Amino acid sequence: MTLLTLESVSRTYGEVKALDGVDLTVAAGELVAVMGPSGSGKSTLLNLAGGLDRPSSGTVAVAGEDLARVRDLAALRRRSVGYVFQELNLIHSLTAVENVMLPRELDGVAARQARQEALAVLDEVGLREQAEAFPDELSGGQRQRVAIARALVGERRLVLADEPTGALDTATGDEILTLLRARADAGAAVLLVTHEPRYAAWADRVIFLRDGRIVDASLLESAR
Amino acid sequence: MSIRHGLLALLSRGPRYGYQLRAEFEACTGATWPLNIGQVYTTLSRAERDGLVEPGETDEQGRVVYRITEAGRAEVGRWFGTPVAPSDRPRDELVIKLAMAVAAHPDALSVIQAQRTATMRTMQELTRAKRQADGDLAHRLVLDSMIFHAEAELRWLDHCEKGLS
Repeated sequence: MTLLTLESVSRTYGEVKALDGVDLTVAAGELVAVMGPSGSGKSTLLNLAGGLDRPSSGTVAVAGEDLARVRDLAALRRRSVGYVFQELNLIHSLTAVENVMLPRELDGVAARQARQEALAVLDEVGLREQAEAFPDELSGGQRQRVAIARALVGERRLVLADEPTGALDTATGDEILTLLRARADAGAAVLLVTHEPRYAAWADRVIFLRDGRIVDASLLESAR
Repeated sequence: MSIRHGLLALLSRGPRYGYQLRAEFEACTGATWPLNIGQVYTTLSRAERDGLVEPGETDEQGRVVYRITEAGRAEVGRWFGTPVAPSDRPRDELVIKLAMAVAAHPDALSVIQAQRTATMRTMQELTRAKRQADGDLAHRLVLDSMIFHAEAELRWLDHCEKGLS
């Protein structure tokens, strides 16, 4: 099942063509990595995929819904799309579990259920013990795992990750990719933007962008 | 790559038959460098000639157990104590090919791109193998080494591309 579809998507900012006629699909169970030099359109692609930005032309569909026709885009984003950014955007006055349950509460889920869901996903990322810790009490790698838990909570099936390994060391970065890979293997569609080849290599498919166009794609033989 | 030193290192843990040495070598390196049993026996007989190993008893199937000598132990110690020099590595065909592409190919960028895709695919395969190789530290570290090499190659290709544009 295809969870993300981009069809001839272009995005221009004034004179600058950030994306130029990109076609891309990501299916359930698939981890796709996007690589390319800075300014090649990687982040623009991710923002369009998550409905954070709108294409100048072309269509973007999430779980079969054309984003241009969705009335409540914010609700669709909360329900179906999880984001992991390099800037973690954790709220420092909230504990790990409170950070993770926040999107569910915003979506109208009762606090008790939101908390249970949050604890379950913290367990999945190996942070059950740290659920009541504040972000400042956690290591960089643990904070990033909280941010990932927040992106995964509520069974969101499209996960968008923009440089999620940031400045983490390679062993911690590998842990982050292990989590994203496991989520894909469990049936999510994961789109990962990275400039680090070693993390892109966890993907089933690696797409190279240059000047807003897909110049090549490397497909792992017999991927899944 | 030194098969001789690898086998001596394994023998320093105790006497072994040739087939055992082959199995242990491949377990450590994750079958990255498959050995055939002929290579093992050729290497052992040369090491015996050089006084580094000596044959012991023969079992009922005619297989000979080998043990390391003092000279062999000293040789292993020397090997571990000596860093590998860059000149010990073979010439890198990719470096030569890209240098030639930049000098003589009308579209060097396409050569770079094709190589990048191929190297990325190699890296995807290595990463998958690493995911499946949980448990065996020696094997995982061998794969890590190959991943780091592929990563360096990709970085260098990016660097080449920037130089061209």
